[in-house]
Amino acid sequence: MRYELFIALRHIKARKRQTILSVAAIGIAVMILMVSQAFMAGFTQEIYQTTVANLPHVVVSPQEGEDYIHLYGNIVREVNSIEGVVASSPYLIGEASFRYRDKTANAALKGVVPPEEEAVAHVSKDVIEGDFEELAYSRRGIVIGDDLARRLGLQMGDSVEVSFPNANTLSLRVIAIYDTGTPADESLIYTSLGTAQDFYGTADVINGISLRLADFNQDREVASIIREEGYRADGWTQNNPEILQTLAIERSSNQVTLGFILLIASFGVVSTLNMVVMSKLKETGILMAMGMSRSGIRLVFLLESGILGLAGAVLGALAGTVIALSVGSYPLPEGVYGISSIPVIVRPTDVFLIITVVFLLNLIAGIYPAQRAASLDPVKAISTR
Amino acid sequence: MPETIVEIKKVTKIYTLGANKIYALNKVSAKIEKGDFVTIMGSSGSGKSTLLNMLGCLDLPTSGKVLINNTDLSNLDDDGLTSLRRNNIGFIFQQFNLIQTLTAVENVEIPMIFNGASPQKRRKRALKLLQKAQLPPEYAHHKPNELSGGQQQRVAIARALANNPPILLADEPTGNLDTKTGHGVMELLRELNQAGTTVIVVTHDPRMEEYSRTTIRLQDGEIVNEDT
Ligand SMILES: Nc1ncnc2c1ncn2[C@@H]1O[C@H](COP(=O)(O)OP(=O)(O)OP(=O)(O)O)[C@@H](O)[C@H]1O
Ligand SMILES: [Mg+2]
Repeated sequence: MRYELFIALRHIKARKRQTILSVAAIGIAVMILMVSQAFMAGFTQEIYQTTVANLPHVVVSPQEGEDYIHLYGNIVREVNSIEGVVASSPYLIGEASFRYRDKTANAALKGVVPPEEEAVAHVSKDVIEGDFEELAYSRRGIVIGDDLARRLGLQMGDSVEVSFPNANTLSLRVIAIYDTGTPADESLIYTSLGTAQDFYGTADVINGISLRLADFNQDREVASIIREEGYRADGWTQNNPEILQTLAIERSSNQVTLGFILLIASFGVVSTLNMVVMSKLKETGILMAMGMSRSGIRLVFLLESGILGLAGAVLGALAGTVIALSVGSYPLPEGVYGISSIPVIVRPTDVFLIITVVFLLNLIAGIYPAQRAASLDPVKAISTR
Repeated sequence: MPETIVEIKKVTKIYTLGANKIYALNKVSAKIEKGDFVTIMGSSGSGKSTLLNMLGCLDLPTSGKVLINNTDLSNLDDDGLTSLRRNNIGFIFQQFNLIQTLTAVENVEIPMIFNGASPQKRRKRALKLLQKAQLPPEYAHHKPNELSGGQQQRVAIARALANNPPILLADEPTGNLDTKTGHGVMELLRELNQAGTTVIVVTHDPRMEEYSRTTIRLQDGEIVNEDT
């Protein structure tokens, strides 16, 4: 063992109380950092799962200046052959007025090919009554959100009158009701693609294709490939910038706070180490007189700082992980928050990164006291008591 | 022709205290021969400790040259000074300056650690040196505060001998000891000198002069005479 390490460890052992205090200070800061990072990651994932997962990752729109995509078979085939695209759903969407008895409401009517829409948007998992895929077989059916159904007083099996200027009024029957917990429940009604084309009086055309990707982070890349084909295409991050913004603001304000906590903890290390230097003046002078080099002295105090930092970081990361995981496994009262437990994710890379950064931060914080010890005048240092 | 082991040439050391300049040493020149036993004498504040610290590479002169084994200290960087000190000089202080948290034998091992000796070798040699310094063996594993002043000074002498230095420097080694114990320590230094070590002792106790062959007298930072 190098003697610098030996001396550093001896200093640490000899000053138990200060050691415990400074390790605890770093440990607590790291613990807060860990827990908050785990919540942040969980929160982000939750947002992605509740919003992004149900969003189409990329939406293809008609060419510039056109209302529809004609002969859409080609573009659908091309889009499906792009790497990373797992499903695509052509649709025809427009506005419509819905009337049931004396109540009316305006909403979007979206004609889809049910199995394909299911593959992209996982509608079925939100269906609370009936069967979404029934749409494929009943030509005059609709699937409606629970909120809109309540507003119109609609039940399963009821027929609703759908009309719009320049459209063919139709009578459509409720064959399923869904509940996503999002605004769509009040504003979006599914029907089959053929029914929508009948309603708007168009040929076999669509005005959009929604895509599902293997990795939703690839949305911009895929969209730009499609744009090269002459169609308009946008990723979910372009269509929903507010989601990213929310996450970014949340994350950066979080990180600023955490950065300050770490900085304060590192200052704690500097002052602890300064105290150690002061209390070891005489010993340091003696060691110099006995033939220890200044670089050796510097290394001793840097090692002390590094060891304290590492110990604090490891203990804090351990405590933080335990706390985060146990908070995450604590069941919330059902139905109150719409989630069964607080979302928490402890990523090994985060743990590793935090420990490394804290360790380095402490080494840096140790430079000043270590330099001070190394530049002591041995004669003066020895004569202190 | 006797070999010169330490030489100082026109060494001046100035301490600045506010507007005051204190000439702790003023153009001091001297040569010390290998194997000599030198006492540096003078009243308090005459510059004895300043001179000794300079010989021990613990301090550098404001002007002038210090040569040890014909090496000019002003040509050495910090690492050079450290290794010169480590290999050539053993230091003994008036206050003993043992490390309180270490046992007697561990204190003696310290300089050997810096020279990279193995733990077994260190321990063996340290015990032998303590024996040579006449510390009763049962005290080898005691902490300094469990030892008498004389015993602590013996540990400090053993420590100064750890790397077998050709030069032994002692700043009032008997200052904190009673007369009888003090003479015991001086006897020990004389034995070491007879075995070949160059010994330089700072003292203002005239009775210690009897041990030396050469005396350097300082007064107000200047050598007033050097008698052999
Ligand atoms: N670090 C310092 N700063 C300012 N002045 C100093 C310093 N060290 C020594 N001096 C001054 O230099 C002069 C010589 O001091 P030095 O310690 O060498 O004397 P000394 O002969 O060893 O005295 P003593 O017998 O009391 O130990 C004194 O006037 C002292 O006040
Ligand atoms: Mg003195």
